[in-house]
Amino acid sequence: MLLMVGGVFAVLSPRFLTPGNLLNVCTSASVVAIVGLGMTLAIASGNFDLSVGSTAAFAGCVTVSLVQQIGVALAILAGLATGATVGLINGLIVTELGVPAFIATLGMLTIVRGAALIYTGGRDIYLYGQTQYKILSSGLTPVLLALALAIVLWFVLQHTRFGRHILATGSNAMSARRVGVRTSLVLLGVFSIVGAAAALSGLILSAQVLTGNGRLATGLELSAIAVVVLGGTPLTGGQASIAGTLQGSVLVAVINNGLNLLNVSIFYQNVTLGLLLLGAIALEALRTDRRRTKQLTTR
Amino acid sequence: MDEIQRVPILAVQNLSRRFPGVLALDNVSFDILAGEVHALVGENGAGKSTLIGILAGVYQPSAGQVLLDQKPAFFPDPLSSQRAGISVIFQEFSLLPHLSVAENVFISREPRHGLTVDWATMNRRTQEILSTLNVEIDPATLVSELAVGQQQLVEIARALSAKTRMIVMDEPTAALNEREAVRLLEIVRSLAAGGVSVLYVSHRLEEVFSIADRITVLRDGRHIVTERRSAITEQRVVSAMVGRELVHSTRPSRTAGAIVLETKDVTVDGGLVRKVSFSLRRGEVLGLAGLMGSGCSELMEGLYGLREITEGSFLIEGRPVRIVNPRSAILTGVGLVPEDRKRQSVFPDLSVAHNLTIGNLPRWFWAFPGLLDLAGERRKTLDYKRQLNIRFTRPEQRISGLSGGNQQKVILARALAGNCRLLLLAEPTRGVDVGAKAEIYALIDRLVQKGIAVILQTSELPELIRLADRCIVFVAGEPRGELCGAEITQEAVMSLATGLSHRVTVDSASLRSVQ
Amino acid sequence: MRILQTHKSRIPDAPATGSPINQVDWDLLWERFGTTVVTITIWFIAGLSTPGFANVDNFVSVLRQSAFVGVSAVGMTFAIIAGTFDLSVGSTQALCAWVAVSVAKVAGVFPAFVTAVALGGVIGLCNGSLVALVRIPAFIATLGTMFLINGLTYIVTNGQTARFSGKPFVWWGNAQVMNLPVPFVVFLGCALLGAAILYRTSFGRFIYAIGCNREAANVAGVPVAKTTTLVFVVVGLFTGLGAMLLGARLYSAGPGLEPGFELNVIATVVLGGTRLAGGRGSMLGTVAAAILFATLANVLNLNHVDAFVQRVVVGLVLLLALSVEGVRQRLAEYWSKRVARIPQSSQPLRGDQL
Repeated sequence: MLLMVGGVFAVLSPRFLTPGNLLNVCTSASVVAIVGLGMTLAIASGNFDLSVGSTAAFAGCVTVSLVQQIGVALAILAGLATGATVGLINGLIVTELGVPAFIATLGMLTIVRGAALIYTGGRDIYLYGQTQYKILSSGLTPVLLALALAIVLWFVLQHTRFGRHILATGSNAMSARRVGVRTSLVLLGVFSIVGAAAALSGLILSAQVLTGNGRLATGLELSAIAVVVLGGTPLTGGQASIAGTLQGSVLVAVINNGLNLLNVSIFYQNVTLGLLLLGAIALEALRTDRRRTKQLTTR
Repeated sequence: MDEIQRVPILAVQNLSRRFPGVLALDNVSFDILAGEVHALVGENGAGKSTLIGILAGVYQPSAGQVLLDQKPAFFPDPLSSQRAGISVIFQEFSLLPHLSVAENVFISREPRHGLTVDWATMNRRTQEILSTLNVEIDPATLVSELAVGQQQLVEIARALSAKTRMIVMDEPTAALNEREAVRLLEIVRSLAAGGVSVLYVSHRLEEVFSIADRITVLRDGRHIVTERRSAITEQRVVSAMVGRELVHSTRPSRTAGAIVLETKDVTVDGGLVRKVSFSLRRGEVLGLAGLMGSGCSELMEGLYGLREITEGSFLIEGRPVRIVNPRSAILTGVGLVPEDRKRQSVFPDLSVAHNLTIGNLPRWFWAFPGLLDLAGERRKTLDYKRQLNIRFTRPEQRISGLSGGNQQKVILARALAGNCRLLLLAEPTRGVDVGAKAEIYALIDRLVQKGIAVILQTSELPELIRLADRCIVFVAGEPRGELCGAEITQEAVMSLATGLSHRVTVDSASLRSVQ
Repeated sequence: MRILQTHKSRIPDAPATGSPINQVDWDLLWERFGTTVVTITIWFIAGLSTPGFANVDNFVSVLRQSAFVGVSAVGMTFAIIAGTFDLSVGSTQALCAWVAVSVAKVAGVFPAFVTAVALGGVIGLCNGSLVALVRIPAFIATLGTMFLINGLTYIVTNGQTARFSGKPFVWWGNAQVMNLPVPFVVFLGCALLGAAILYRTSFGRFIYAIGCNREAANVAGVPVAKTTTLVFVVVGLFTGLGAMLLGARLYSAGPGLEPGFELNVIATVVLGGTRLAGGRGSMLGTVAAAILFATLANVLNLNHVDAFVQRVVVGLVLLLALSVEGVRQRLAEYWSKRVARIPQSSQPLRGDQL
């Protein structure tokens, strides 16, 4: 399907297949992919995280503001740590306070966004002449980062105890707990990873414009969920398709890019994304629905 | 069976457990020896599930204790009982469907190679365990792809991999086909031979008698007998399961009126229940009896529209009807009192009046909106309070504050409220105390006298005898036999239901000896 | 709805402990009136401590502010009692407000009212169909529609804000009737209407039943799918109305109107005592909570607190309100575990009691 869509755009716009443009596509795909990979983990464990957009922005602001004081490398670490901490808080709210994941992260979405705006005082933080930081978003770095993350997460999910326990928790949390899986710890880990991944995306985004902007990345959560769903990971948990998420990211990036080149207003892109998401989920729902109605009254 | 002296590994001593309104276990004591197959037998409500729950760490005893290797043991949660060497295989399993067989077997104990899971070792060990069970399953298959019987084997494998000392199996053959059941019994035998005790909880006496070393019978939460299999007969087990003082009230004689319901060759949901044909008259009570999975409750759900009737037809007062959902059932005059009050009937946060009237709220065109007659509802509630003798202070109070028996009466009122001609009662006195039970029986008598036809599905045999004029016994989804009037005795029903090939007759002497 | 389940599931088959018949139902009382009590308390405290709070103009302002979230919250109350919710109300509001303003410009107040409300209803119908018929979890479905409508709004408006300051129209957002701001009066009217529907119609009863025990509702003959769909329509209708009021108040409307609105609305309902799990809730609580929120914002404003901090506060308050539910559940579990023991003097020592 990806090739088909790509083909359509290539035909419609002469500029699609230029190396510059393809690089753009790759970069934006990577940004979505990174946060989408984190979201894949969350969905596989049976949860969601709606706060990733805010986390990304916040981490970006933190990093940009610190670059000049403690150097690029440490600033990046600080940004990632910020993301992980936000994720950890999310996880604690879900596991300890018993608040359903999406409502908890919905609340955190506002809180973190507000925190970001407070941190920057509502203004943008600019980085002048700092070329080192730009590395994050230049050339193939984002792509490499995305691929690296994908490989690491794939490995974790396939070959480590932690990863298998993530899938166990998503498969049937009650049974998992009954047989000894420490679901609370697993979820704390998952949410922290999601937060860190969101932070990384945010860093790349802020590196692109060398600005710490509190309003960055609104709507990132939708894209993240969309690429996971499009990639084939079911919302019910227990399964994860890393490759699928990557493909989904590329698909979404291609569509956005293509629409851009065709001078379609950016708002249509939002609509398209929403439609895609709903369409994919509707299909999945209709498929599982037939199985579900049989179970209405079985004991 | 050799008579080697075996050491008890687990014992329960004076074990009691109380739930609101009911004493589920009453001073139960018996022990389980190492390497024995110990069958735990009893009807529904005898206390088996509660006992399993205590051993599994799901419940704590209200009194008494559990002894492990003759030392008191306490299981505050499921994990602690597993660590103590007790594995419980629940009826609904504790498997993770998206993971492989090997992973499920070794979950939370996965062998590791540094940071990574050691698949090779895990698969190999799983394979070893599976072959001791004489089973051919590829350890890498996903559990969701296995048949139920195979899934059960995975549960057993998991218990074995955890070096369990005792496996508790709750109705293990309920979901299995014949071949799988036979295989399971072989596995149970080999487990015991290997030193693992098995507490085999089941209704099915044929199986029990083919593998058990000793048999314990529970009844009404009390321990009745524990005996070696070679020293007890089937008759005695059946008597122990059912023999009890006769219920004080007796069934009044009833005159049946016109035929209200006729079913012809009804099949529900493509085969859960098959070939059901009977007719029912006004003022008559028809009982449906059978073990779990025999199809009785599925038939009830089919008649009420909760399940689809895929073949056959049924007629109400001579006219064929298609009931597709509960609403159409209610409109046709069919009411249901479901068997799981908590899950299927009660709205705990709503008031008594709301719970009572929910089935018959006014609706205009296309179901909405219907202005409520609050005063009328109140009157109706108080009316039923009088008629059914429901105990509550005000109709506005929350139903969760009522006792089980009174809640059930409210549900009964709900079912009656819609000009009910056919009343379906599923386990109507489950979780209801003795006093309320008697009241409910008297209520049913009165309703039947007024001309309502009743289908009663119950696993409590005295209830069946007390209420039913006729009774159809189901086994594995098909009607096995019909009993009328005085033929309905506990022994007759039980022997039909448990599939004992010969009918068991009990003389009054042996009945007295177990009381 | 599996997605709505919290992480810690309850003990299987934990016996229900019913309260004795005679005891006063503190639970219910707190639920119904708790928020009102808290609101009045805060008024008191604020009146004493914050300059500029305790005067008529300020009160009027607070009441007026509460109406815009409040009207939508009336609709959302239905949804949450039914055990579901709607994340798209923010985008819906933006679109409906723009439509209202634009229509008012060309056709007057009444057509504006009709189109705004009708549009809200149509969006609600889409949401309802997705959730009840296609069976997409409410959270995802309304998240999707939220972004869809957001995008649609930008497209339709071309990114522009519509403006209109015609007298009859803006009256609805800015004037006063008997010293009470018009939007607030409308809000009260909506709340009364909502309460009437909830407590006096079968529809309302069905909603409570579905939220309390969905399976039992189905067994009792409640039309679950139809009711659920209609619930979303109700949410949409009320949101449309609130949108018109907002447009009238601001003399304008455009995309990006009030980000975070949906969170405010849900927070209002939950804070008003309605449980997120459904089956319980009251309109009075919602009204009180709307006023409470407006009061909080007002107090923060008067104390010159940063706008961004205010948003954080809203989020925190929501989480707080929700955690109460979770904490209560944990406490209930803990108690039910302990209550099951019959104390007996002759119990052997439990040496390995952990």
